[in-house]
Amino acid sequence: MTTEQTSLGSMLREGSAIAVRFAQARTASFVLAVIGAALFVSAIVASAIVIGNVTDSLIVPVLDQGEPHEGLLWPAMWAVFAVALWKALAVILRRTAASFLQFRVQADARHDLIDHLLKLELSWYQRQSTGTLLATSDTDVRQGTFILAPLPYGIGSSLLLVGTVVLILLIDPWLALLAFACLGAIVAVNMNGAWKMFGAFREVQTLRGDVSSIAHESFDGALTIKALGRIDLEKDRFEQASQRLRDRLIGVLQMMATYRVGVEGLLSAITVIMLVAGAARVSDGAVTPGDVVTIAYLLSLLFIPIRIIGFVLWSIASSRAGWERVQSVYDVTDLVPYGDAQPEPDESGALVSGDAVSFSYDDGETVIADLNLAIQPGRVVAVVGPTASGKSTLTALMARLWDPQVGAITIDGRDLRSFARSALPGEVAFVSQESFLFDDTVTGNIAFGVMADDEDVKTAAQLAGAHEFILELPEGYGTTLGERGTSLSGGQRQRIALARALVRKPRLLILDDATSAVDPSVEARILERLRESETPSTIVIVAYRTSSITLADEVVFIDEGKIVAHGTHRDLSRDVPGYARIVEAYADDAEERRGS
Amino acid sequence: MSAEESASGTIYALRRAFQETPALRAGIGLTIFFAALGTLIQLVVPIVVQTVIDQDLLGDGDVDIGSVVQKGLIALGAMLLAFIVRRQALVRLAKASATGLSELRVRTFEHLHKLSILHTEAERRGALVARVTSDIASIQDFMDWGGVGLLIGVAQVFLAMVAMLFYRFDLALVVVGAVIVYTIMLVFIQRILARAHDKVRQRVALSLGAMGEAISGLPVIRAYGAEEETRVKVADALDAQFRSEYRTALLGASLFSSAELFAGLITAAVIGIGVVTGVNAGMSAGTLLAFLFLVNLLVQPIQTLVETLNHAQSAGAGVRRILSILDTPIEIDDPTDPVFLPEGNLNIQFTDVTFYYKKKAPLFEDLSLEIQPGTRVAVVGETGSGKSTFSKLLTRIHDPISGEVMLGGVPLSRIDTDDLRHRLGYVPQEGFLFDATIADNIKYGKPDATDDELHAAITDLELDSWVAQLPEGLATSVGERGGQLSAGERQLVALARAWITGPEVLVLDEATSAVDPALEVQTRRAMERLISSRTSVTVAHRLSTAEAADEILVFDQGRLAERGGHDQLLAQDGVYTALYGDWIKGTQKVD
Repeated sequence: MTTEQTSLGSMLREGSAIAVRFAQARTASFVLAVIGAALFVSAIVASAIVIGNVTDSLIVPVLDQGEPHEGLLWPAMWAVFAVALWKALAVILRRTAASFLQFRVQADARHDLIDHLLKLELSWYQRQSTGTLLATSDTDVRQGTFILAPLPYGIGSSLLLVGTVVLILLIDPWLALLAFACLGAIVAVNMNGAWKMFGAFREVQTLRGDVSSIAHESFDGALTIKALGRIDLEKDRFEQASQRLRDRLIGVLQMMATYRVGVEGLLSAITVIMLVAGAARVSDGAVTPGDVVTIAYLLSLLFIPIRIIGFVLWSIASSRAGWERVQSVYDVTDLVPYGDAQPEPDESGALVSGDAVSFSYDDGETVIADLNLAIQPGRVVAVVGPTASGKSTLTALMARLWDPQVGAITIDGRDLRSFARSALPGEVAFVSQESFLFDDTVTGNIAFGVMADDEDVKTAAQLAGAHEFILELPEGYGTTLGERGTSLSGGQRQRIALARALVRKPRLLILDDATSAVDPSVEARILERLRESETPSTIVIVAYRTSSITLADEVVFIDEGKIVAHGTHRDLSRDVPGYARIVEAYADDAEERRGS
Repeated sequence: MSAEESASGTIYALRRAFQETPALRAGIGLTIFFAALGTLIQLVVPIVVQTVIDQDLLGDGDVDIGSVVQKGLIALGAMLLAFIVRRQALVRLAKASATGLSELRVRTFEHLHKLSILHTEAERRGALVARVTSDIASIQDFMDWGGVGLLIGVAQVFLAMVAMLFYRFDLALVVVGAVIVYTIMLVFIQRILARAHDKVRQRVALSLGAMGEAISGLPVIRAYGAEEETRVKVADALDAQFRSEYRTALLGASLFSSAELFAGLITAAVIGIGVVTGVNAGMSAGTLLAFLFLVNLLVQPIQTLVETLNHAQSAGAGVRRILSILDTPIEIDDPTDPVFLPEGNLNIQFTDVTFYYKKKAPLFEDLSLEIQPGTRVAVVGETGSGKSTFSKLLTRIHDPISGEVMLGGVPLSRIDTDDLRHRLGYVPQEGFLFDATIADNIKYGKPDATDDELHAAITDLELDSWVAQLPEGLATSVGERGGQLSAGERQLVALARAWITGPEVLVLDEATSAVDPALEVQTRRAMERLISSRTSVTVAHRLSTAEAADEILVFDQGRLAERGGHDQLLAQDGVYTALYGDWIKGTQKVD
């Protein structure tokens, strides 16, 4: 997050710029809210005038002077009620427009956020916590748009400020000067408060992000935490974050209390000071006592906009503090670059090649080092290697989840980076080790991101060996996954993820250890069917079992990010000791056991 | 959440919130006293101003500056006093609310962890995060902006009504009647408002859930080109949230404007009735104006109250969502009368265990079995046969619906939780890692472990060479969810994390499924050497584990189909034989 030094001036300037941007984006509702606010404050003045008139023309004449009330009563009551109606309608207009403005701008900001997030490189996500990003979307956006609540009201009521200032000036310039000095002091106090709060708001938002981040991570690891009996430890960790937030929040609220109550007190003080000064002017003969009474009333009107201007200043601080966290996400430029190539719905297998590919994740450790690879269309290639040798990374590069720093991966001679956004999956399907299922129906999970009818979905599920257990689910293909009670086993999840890839009939199918929980016979059947089709897909499969490997036409053995050997299983098991050690580990183990 | 619940709810919900969190109500009496006192002292200022205007300025004769200054000083003194007292009230309130809500947040967090919802509804974690963030924040808003104001406002309305009754009984009755009618109307609207706020909280959680899913699932989304589909899904959730928020704001606006209308109506009525009846009763204009002043005193807090009620409803909705968590009974509760496990080796017993996730599809029915202490048991079976669930019952991640699981002769539900987790190590397949170093993650199993113990665990599992090739050895950061490591490496760290606690019973559920075969065999053998005397239960898809086990449990659709040694089971020519045949076909050497 940004921690650059900010001055009071730049905070106000940037805060106002944010407000202006919001207002411009939703001009109509902003203008309506300002009009509503102006109508509301004018209704306040009107109601004072009406009550004054009713007192002078009805109450005093009738009750004290014994005049008849006929003809006066109903108009007076109507006037009182009409002003109230005016106020009520103005309230509805102001509030409706202002809340539309506020909530719509929030929703717009969140739309932009998810839109932007979906375009960012995975490498950026490696440095982020999901919980913090969620907090940005939720509380930071809310905080960042705080300014929209008081702003229209502040602008609308400024009319009152101008009007009353002119009236006071007309009565007595000296008293007016004193009044301005006092009000200026109040604005200065508010500005000082806003500035002090700005830093505090920033810290509070950061701490809110921490709380959200810990909660998210902790909920993510719930099973592990329970298995290790570490709920207390997690509670402590969360409690510490929550208490840091609490302490900072208490500080903020304390400061706010001081300013809130202080400003109210100062406003009363101004009334008293003006009264004393007014009395002095009266005894000087400069003004009449009636003028002082009028000024006292005008001051009470002035307090409405002054209070709101204070609130606006505070909200600018709050918005600026919240919005910088939102903005810092918008400002991330790690966008995945795309070309404009479209998928070719040609149903033949893809020719895949890697040309001098090097890749490292964030920390700089080379994972794939100067790798060259060519896979002919329709071939089934097994990728074998020890743990952490770069197999998964290689497959992720082929599916363009990551881009190599050096070299290029191409299919049919086209660089993966030349494809338009969302176009590559029209030809390539990738199934990862961890099957991620969405909060959606089985059908929705299988026909994910692709137009597929129920028949296609069923066929894919059958091929993936998932059809039978899906039928046994409470609502078959319509069962929502992720709901309480419909928890699937690891193997079942894997098969749905597999069906998700198969339904697309990809030209290149990449399986990253995606069949580990699928029975060998099922796996063999899947591979057989894919090979037997008239236009066989190219298949890259990370696998350990000899059954999968022997189904492959060729094997790539990879270690420490390099291709150590590329050939048939037979050749490799004869010539490459490291390879044999891995694929024959179980058989060796079993033999040894029997031998001993 | 049902409509009746939210309707009955806000007062109940807020009361419950106060009951559940003592810190929230700590010293609340004194806080209210300070707030009331401050408000009372503050009244001195307008009274002084009025006196100055009436007596000094508009009175007969010249203005006496000395007297005006004197009164001004009194007002300023009162103002200063009011400032101190009112600030005190707000500060006390801030402390109580922030402390109380932090406690409530932690309690909700802890309770969520004790429920099974987190690991059975993995897809909804984003939505659950909202419970400890934005739901709590909605209560905080209410406490900070309206809490005391609500109580003071009610007091002011009440006092104004009493004053009116003494002033002019007949006019007062009109006002009281109107207040009653308006209150009834408010109560009715509150129900609608409560439902609207419930909807908002629900929508917020749903859109956070959708957003969280989009972020966590981004690799899959990108691999399947579903960016647009996902964007639309999240956008829909956000728009639904917007609509519910806007609708609620509309209700709030109408409510607030009704307070204005009520004020106007009541003022007009008092003027009308006052003027008409006042003539006969001989009431002076001054009396009616004073009464109108009281009306104003009554109407003002009503407007604030209505606003506060809106906040209260929002808070109530937040509280209801939190209570719905706190009121969910913990399935796996700590025993009330905990028993410690006997020393030495422990046997495992299942007696008539029945278990299901959904009643319609029972997984285990009356499962009974015993595992002798010190045996190495492999659990095998097809996907969905109940292997994983068996390990979760054994480790008390789930409790059986009926029947009993016992360890060392003690029912799991009676064993002291710490003792159970200490003596029984469980490594689930997911291998979840925290965003910290490898060493931190291993030490998570035993926070007080020394570096020697740490290295010993690595050496025991023969993982030294793996650690040696990591960029920074054990100090290597694993990234969020361990994303910087490969899936196999994550499992190795998870294994070391359980190993370092030195459990007497070790339950491994596909714990090395992503590790390469050579390393898996090596690690398993290392463990076999070291735990030869201990009980171990290994759920494995890779049957190499089964071959090496003392005993094999074969599950088939929730039934213990077969059990026995490897050779013995092969001779039976049953489920195991078929599984093993498949396995051998899968792993045999092929030339």
